[in-house]
Amino acid sequence: MPLPSKAFQHWLKGIAPDVTIADVCRIAGLKRTTLAQQMVRGKVAEGKVVSISRAFNVNPLVALSSFETYADLAGPIAPPTDAELLSQVATLDLLQAVIQRSGQEPAAPFELAEPPHTTSVKNWVESIDDGELRLRVTEATGIAPQNFSAHLTANRMPPELVIATSRAAGVGPTAGLVASGLITEREAGWPPHSRRAALDRLSDSDLALLAGDRLEALGKALRRHEHDQERTDRIWENLG
Amino acid sequence: MTDVLAWATLIVCLAITLARLPGAIRGHNRSLFFIFALITLAILLSIDAPYMAIDRVLGGFNVTNLVLRFVLYATFFAVGVKSTKAFGSQSGERAVRGPVGLTVLGVIAALTVWCFAVSDTQGSTTGLRELPEGTSLEFYAALGRLYPAYVAVCLIPGIWRTVRGSGPGLLRLAAALLMGGLSLLVLSQVFPLIPPSLLWLQPLINYSAALLIALGLAGIGVSKAVARRGRNRYEGLAGSTRMKKKK
Repeated sequence: MPLPSKAFQHWLKGIAPDVTIADVCRIAGLKRTTLAQQMVRGKVAEGKVVSISRAFNVNPLVALSSFETYADLAGPIAPPTDAELLSQVATLDLLQAVIQRSGQEPAAPFELAEPPHTTSVKNWVESIDDGELRLRVTEATGIAPQNFSAHLTANRMPPELVIATSRAAGVGPTAGLVASGLITEREAGWPPHSRRAALDRLSDSDLALLAGDRLEALGKALRRHEHDQERTDRIWENLG
Repeated sequence: MTDVLAWATLIVCLAITLARLPGAIRGHNRSLFFIFALITLAILLSIDAPYMAIDRVLGGFNVTNLVLRFVLYATFFAVGVKSTKAFGSQSGERAVRGPVGLTVLGVIAALTVWCFAVSDTQGSTTGLRELPEGTSLEFYAALGRLYPAYVAVCLIPGIWRTVRGSGPGLLRLAAALLMGGLSLLVLSQVFPLIPPSLLWLQPLINYSAALLIALGLAGIGVSKAVARRGRNRYEGLAGSTRMKKKK
């Protein structure tokens, strides 16, 4: 659920007391008409709050926590688990880590790509799923299972659902917010190189298996795409 | 109202046919060009003014209507063959151009000629509307609706898979239009049950079906052109491991 406009205006007055909405949009790089529309409808997207807080040097998590829906973000937040951190390592980086550990070229240390990556949301949910997570989320939020799956496939998730999902899994909310691309890992308060550290803590076997799982998932997704593409091409070839 | 729809359909079909002409000359999907040409011809033959003019030349006993039937049979056979191939429906392909499909077409065509021959069809009248009513003419009209509907039934499941699938949006939209048109043809089987006060529904359904089918088929070509130009092309491994830039 996006944020009510009254609360939004109240929050905006707090961080930028004498700035007009037009100037806020200019500074934050937002489209004024979009924000105005969202305010009229009484539903301001969380992403807007994040963009504005970045522009005014406010931590997005702190900013969000001033809204009722996200009040939990104000308290002490559980740090991400190792599994969650690893879920935000891109597949290619995992493969590169395998190569690096095996002592082959390129052995030089490499920077992990910033999250989110192409399957961040799905990988995050899988990293916290005990097998019944989806059921609990559906029960807690009333979201239809197929809609939940659709979010994972599309690699996106509304912030409120992220919060509900992490609560249902009993983990902190930051990894989900990072995975869905709302905030960066730094804004989430993760210590620098925490993903790298989690990667280094993996045993060789766990690393190989994790990379293998990811590679298999990638292969299946590619197979599906290729299949779809073949079908489309056949239609175009005959009727195009 | 019906007149406007008829002429609009004719113009749309003619425009699509002409638009595909240069490509067809270069050898690009000629059969599809002929399908559009046939649809255009069929629409032309179903409109009053051209029908009367042509039928006068052909002797004034409505043989033009018989020609129209066969134009429609040819159109739907061609649409059926191309579409079942396109939408990857093997059972549909067998049902259209396998032994069963050819038998259906042959029997319907033969019965059509026979019904026409045994009816009194003197005096040009579009859609045979002003001829004295008779069982053979009713049967003749029913046969004319039956074959398109038969082909439509063979095609709809395959097209539905594409509409629901995960292909490009434009392609799915075009497939949905095509399916809408074909569904109207199936619906037209209940024409004999329509009360006389609602007779205007018949041409409305017929022309809407023709228009939807033409737009759907043309839309598939458009979706291909758009995809070729666009950047949303399938990139395989490269596309699946690189994060897309936010809009």
